[in-house]
Amino acid sequence: MSERATSESTARHPTRLGGRGRGAVWIPVGVVVVIVALLAGLFAFGLGRNPTVVQPVIVGKVAPAFNLSRLDGGRTLNLSSMRGQVVVLNFWASWCADCVVENPALRSAFQRYRDQGVRFVGVSFEDQSGTARGFAKQMGMGWPLVSDPGTNTAIAYGVTGVPETFVIDPDGRIVAKTIGPVTYSVLSEQIAHAMPGGA
Amino acid sequence: MADDRDAGSRRGTHVVAAVLAVALIAAAIAIAVIAARGPAAPATLQDRVRAVAVELRCPVCQDLSVADSPAPLARAMRARIAAELSAGASPAAIRDGFVRSYGAWILMAPPRRGLSLVVWVLPLALAVAGCVIVLVAVRRWTRDRPGVSPNEPSAEAPDSRDESPDLPAADRRLLDRALAAAGAEDPE
Repeated sequence: MSERATSESTARHPTRLGGRGRGAVWIPVGVVVVIVALLAGLFAFGLGRNPTVVQPVIVGKVAPAFNLSRLDGGRTLNLSSMRGQVVVLNFWASWCADCVVENPALRSAFQRYRDQGVRFVGVSFEDQSGTARGFAKQMGMGWPLVSDPGTNTAIAYGVTGVPETFVIDPDGRIVAKTIGPVTYSVLSEQIAHAMPGGA
Repeated sequence: MADDRDAGSRRGTHVVAAVLAVALIAAAIAIAVIAARGPAAPATLQDRVRAVAVELRCPVCQDLSVADSPAPLARAMRARIAAELSAGASPAAIRDGFVRSYGAWILMAPPRRGLSLVVWVLPLALAVAGCVIVLVAVRRWTRDRPGVSPNEPSAEAPDSRDESPDLPAADRRLLDRALAAAGAEDPE
């Protein structure tokens, strides 16, 4: 008898909820649904992205000025002296494996664009000048190479490692940044974009 | 005499409450003063460099500040901070310089504006919401339980059952029937 009464009362439970507080029941359900939807959206957004890729904020900004001495001990190289020309600024090091990987692409681009007024500059990153010079000779880096004492220029450009390659337009604005080894096609596209009249 | 003792114990409770309240207020004032003053100004250049560097992320590390990283790039950044501080730059200006180069990502703590504000506000909002939920739930539980309220004389306990506000008439009849049946089966 008592069992029957209990089951009856349980069976009536939903009626009670439905009758008295339909709104009161739907509010927590709605809250849970909203929270789950928000979490699902957050995960869909966050897990679809590569956490190691950070959008470079420096693209579109004025390239930080520098005046650095050449690796071969010659005169200094000043960015402002190259105003009016497209500048390809490459940060590299002799201890950097990816710099070997990207070397053919850089050399090809240098060969193609050197006569079109595009200036190539290699900034040595956390390296000893002797070792860096030897590496540059071995790799056939025929463009001006400079040392960066105190890593100040690299920090100003937001460099997180090598290689990193910046393309600066004739107005002195950074128009592209490549983290890691650059390819010939990507670099040519960036240079063409930076050139006067380039799309 | 019983009245005297009651009055005495009530006075004691008042004294304890007053002492607790004074202690709480004093502690709150002390914390507020310390919070308003902030940490003491770092004395040496090394301390001032560290104060800036702990807020900056080491770009070549995983979850390590510029102050704590042994990486060459972090060392170079500390040297740059030292040079700029020596030149008279403010810590905020130096921080802004790093943000211009690396983006807000370089800051160990997300900025308290824009979308990043969510990570500052959300935990607080959730904590407050949790407290409200617990408060409401506790109040509901204690209200629904008959005979728990200390204001109700125990003689009225059987009647207070009927005053239970959440039980509709149909359920009340079912409950009464169930109780009656249980009583019939088990006379004790």
